[in-house]
Amino acid sequence: MDPPIYYSKAEYIETDTGNKVSRRATIAGPQNIILGGKTIISNGAIIRGDLRRTGAGHAVVISLGRYCVVGEGCVMRPPYKTYRGNFNYYPMKIGDHVHIGANTVVEAATIGSHVEIGKNCVIGKFTIIKDCARVADGTIVPPNTVIPALALFAGSPGRFVEDLPESTQEIVEAQTKRYYTRFQPAP
Amino acid sequence: MAPIRDKYTIHSKAVVCQDVELKGDITIGSGSIVHPKATIFAIAGPIVIGSGCIIEEGAIIVNRRKEVMRIGDDNLFEIGCRVESPTVGDFNTISTRARVHHTVRIGSYCVVGAGCLVVPTDDEFLDDYTVIYGPAAERRTWSGRGKVQEADLRRKHAEYLREMLPKFNRLRRGEGS
Repeated sequence: MDPPIYYSKAEYIETDTGNKVSRRATIAGPQNIILGGKTIISNGAIIRGDLRRTGAGHAVVISLGRYCVVGEGCVMRPPYKTYRGNFNYYPMKIGDHVHIGANTVVEAATIGSHVEIGKNCVIGKFTIIKDCARVADGTIVPPNTVIPALALFAGSPGRFVEDLPESTQEIVEAQTKRYYTRFQPAP
Repeated sequence: MAPIRDKYTIHSKAVVCQDVELKGDITIGSGSIVHPKATIFAIAGPIVIGSGCIIEEGAIIVNRRKEVMRIGDDNLFEIGCRVESPTVGDFNTISTRARVHHTVRIGSYCVVGAGCLVVPTDDEFLDDYTVIYGPAAERRTWSGRGKVQEADLRRKHAEYLREMLPKFNRLRRGEGS
């Protein structure tokens, strides 16, 4: 059994669905952010829900699935481009069981489920990361990259290194669930 | 060292979020945008930022020298970059996590790629259209193709942010306004 990771109760807000959000995280435009449940947002993370698509009504800017972890000092902001002469930010979608390491900057368009992203990475604009992929620590993924399923990417610029075993999905799922149960308030 | 005197001059058309760390003598020109969590430190001399610049979250701009640090117009400082150069021209892009030391002066239309370190020991001037890229900070010269499109994107980006940021973030105002 792994030892629990303790946090001080005053520092995190826990929602009904089990999301744990640090009070020291910067969350802009929270009405445009969806957390799937049992997601942890660590200290110093910056999530930009204010950079929304123009147009009337409610717009989802960033959606995170279940059992995700956004590491310390991470920056998550939606990507932008001009399309047919109009400037816009585009929504960012992240699947379930996604771990994002500390101090990583994410401007991806889509991240699948069971994805592990290391620390100090830069994920360029409009990157698409498919299911069960892994990005090693310190990788710089250039804009518009597509990372295929079950691939390990590393380096600067991020390149394909090797295929991951087919059991990755189960392993990552178990890992993220274990991390969530280990993440407890200090007694 | 004498204590740093704070003096902010923020143009009425500039958008500077509340959650920004400013210190020292700072002038921010019209239409410039400073995202939350950015840091601008005028330790020794003042910092003058031109118009239409975008400074994203976690960017750090520091002036360690006595002379005025001049930043031109329409520059983009992306997430978590650190710039200490005494002069910066116009239309430069300093990408995510790049670092530029105080020995480097930047011309115009330069691009410093993501995660690049530009830390020469001797003073250096980056000519116009220099592109620095890759893990070893290699250099090339940009032909200038797509310059109009790039400028257009930058302008629209700033325009969008000027409209959207005040809706979700509290703004900081200069003294006297």
